Amino acid sequence: MANPEAHRPAGVWVTPDEVRRLCDFIYRRTGMLFADNKRYYVDRRLAERIAATHSLSFQAYFALLRSNADGEIQHLVNAFTVNETYFYREEHQLRCMTSNLLNGATDRARPIRIWSIPCSTGEEPYSIAIWLMENWSQVDQYSIEIIGSDIDTTALKAAEIGIYGDRALMRLSPQLIDRYFEPLTDDHYRIDPGLTNSIHFTRANLVDAQQMAHYRDFDIIFCRNVLIYFDDSSRRMAAESLYDCLRPGGYIFLGHSETMSRISPLFDVCRFSDAIVYRRPETDHGDN
Amino acid sequence: MPFVKSGETSHLRVEPRRSAGALTSADPETRWNAARAIGIDADAVPQLAAALRAEPVPRVREAIITALMRIGDEASIAALMACLRSPDAGLRTACLDALRAMPQAILPFLASALEDHDSDVRIMATELARSVPPADANRLLCKLLEGERHANVCAVAIDVLAEVGTSDAIPALQKCAERFRTTAFLPFAASIAIARISGTEG
Amino acid sequence: METIEKTSTQLRASILVVDDSSLVRLYYREALEKTGLAIEEAINGIEAMEKVLAQAFDLVIVDINMPGMDGLTFLRTLRSTADAATTPVLMITTQASKHDVENARMAGANFYLVKPVSQAELVRHACVLTGLPT
Repeated sequence: MANPEAHRPAGVWVTPDEVRRLCDFIYRRTGMLFADNKRYYVDRRLAERIAATHSLSFQAYFALLRSNADGEIQHLVNAFTVNETYFYREEHQLRCMTSNLLNGATDRARPIRIWSIPCSTGEEPYSIAIWLMENWSQVDQYSIEIIGSDIDTTALKAAEIGIYGDRALMRLSPQLIDRYFEPLTDDHYRIDPGLTNSIHFTRANLVDAQQMAHYRDFDIIFCRNVLIYFDDSSRRMAAESLYDCLRPGGYIFLGHSETMSRISPLFDVCRFSDAIVYRRPETDHGDN
Repeated sequence: MPFVKSGETSHLRVEPRRSAGALTSADPETRWNAARAIGIDADAVPQLAAALRAEPVPRVREAIITALMRIGDEASIAALMACLRSPDAGLRTACLDALRAMPQAILPFLASALEDHDSDVRIMATELARSVPPADANRLLCKLLEGERHANVCAVAIDVLAEVGTSDAIPALQKCAERFRTTAFLPFAASIAIARISGTEG
Repeated sequence: METIEKTSTQLRASILVVDDSSLVRLYYREALEKTGLAIEEAINGIEAMEKVLAQAFDLVIVDINMPGMDGLTFLRTLRSTADAATTPVLMITTQASKHDVENARMAGANFYLVKPVSQAELVRHACVLTGLPT
């Protein structure tokens, strides 16, 4: 009876309360949390999935989602995570790093260790390095060790080569590009070899506790938009490994919609004006 | 540039695979490592279960729970379910969160948990019904609602049915609302649940 | 959902309702809005922290049992946050047991109510805690 032509996103009306219920469900199942100012983002993705599943109403789509028919939950999660990587992505986290987290650094005898995992093709660890040089007044007073790791060796190779298209540089000012990149002939740029030589790229698998055991004493870990893809026990294992990889009091950043609350209660929540960060407690909590 | 690249990442002597016996060590770090090193080993469940009940350090408790989740057999689920009646709120919550993630595995345990004499256990079991297949959730919760006298248990059941309920649940919801007509919140909740199930919520 | 600017709180108090049940939040919203109070919602402690830092609330109503960050943890975090440390908090507990009540008090709650809470009870306490006429 339904007219296939009616299956256009605009054809299915979704109320704000229904969007809210969807967000509640997503939070319960994945830990992804969408603040009110991100609701438009949810609206669009929801409309896409309603259309893609040929659902005639929110009710129908929600029933489908709950039964996880055809892995719809994963489709929805995928729709929410933009896999594109670029320099200075989620700049507010970088700002939080220098404004709030590194302020407490006092011991100049030991290096500050920062880990980007997964680092993909290197934009994230390089962004961290550039940001520190540009925005941290004390950057020359410390040794800073930045490590970028990924399970994908092709991505790591690309990171070590350090050539990027102009799309990856879209958030950088012309001055920054000029300072840290050398233009190549075809709208591509190579990052300053000084930076390539400064960052240690390694292959590592978050879910492999034996591999993760080689990484220790990190002050800050960036682990963005990857934990939500794991199943529950793998996610917990990764979180437990990351805990051990941090120094006591060390911090971990997740992706903008991810919450550690659904992943693991090992970490404390720290709310700064620029970002939410999770922290390994300095000492074990006695009891809850 | 202030960046240093050490030739190696800090090498740690990786702990050899530990036996479950290390779970009873007096040192929390040893217990933590032991729990994390246990693989998918059904033989370790009794020691894990015992360790879980006694573990005072929350993060070690989490590692023990992860180990049980990975094994995931009937004995593991039973061990986690048993902790739902613990007087320790932290332990209850931790186990509930783990069980939430294993809907197929918990299904055989729900019917009796929903009849537990402890209303808190019934509340948690009702919450767990949220993640099992809707047909099972409906069946279990409609049965619960028929006889449940504790208002807060009903409140959770209504909340779950508002999400996963089918039209088969409507009579049970209506009867519940009637039975609790003078109790705060329940009639309201039931009417919203019915409206959502019918697709008539504004 | 409009955010209420600080300047308008003389006219309408703004309240944050934190509970993981959408039915409960709807129930409280219905009651509180009838009395002219402005309501924001949060599903858990993390979202609640976001909101509390984005705007000042005259009252936070929070359930003690929430998945992820529970009510007590949220409250302790709130009390250690400079901007929002003195915000009045009404905690909703599931039992009147001494343990629950004492925990709520020690975490920094100003008052508690036991579920299920009636709309009338909620409004009465909300008015008292926000200083509005009952």
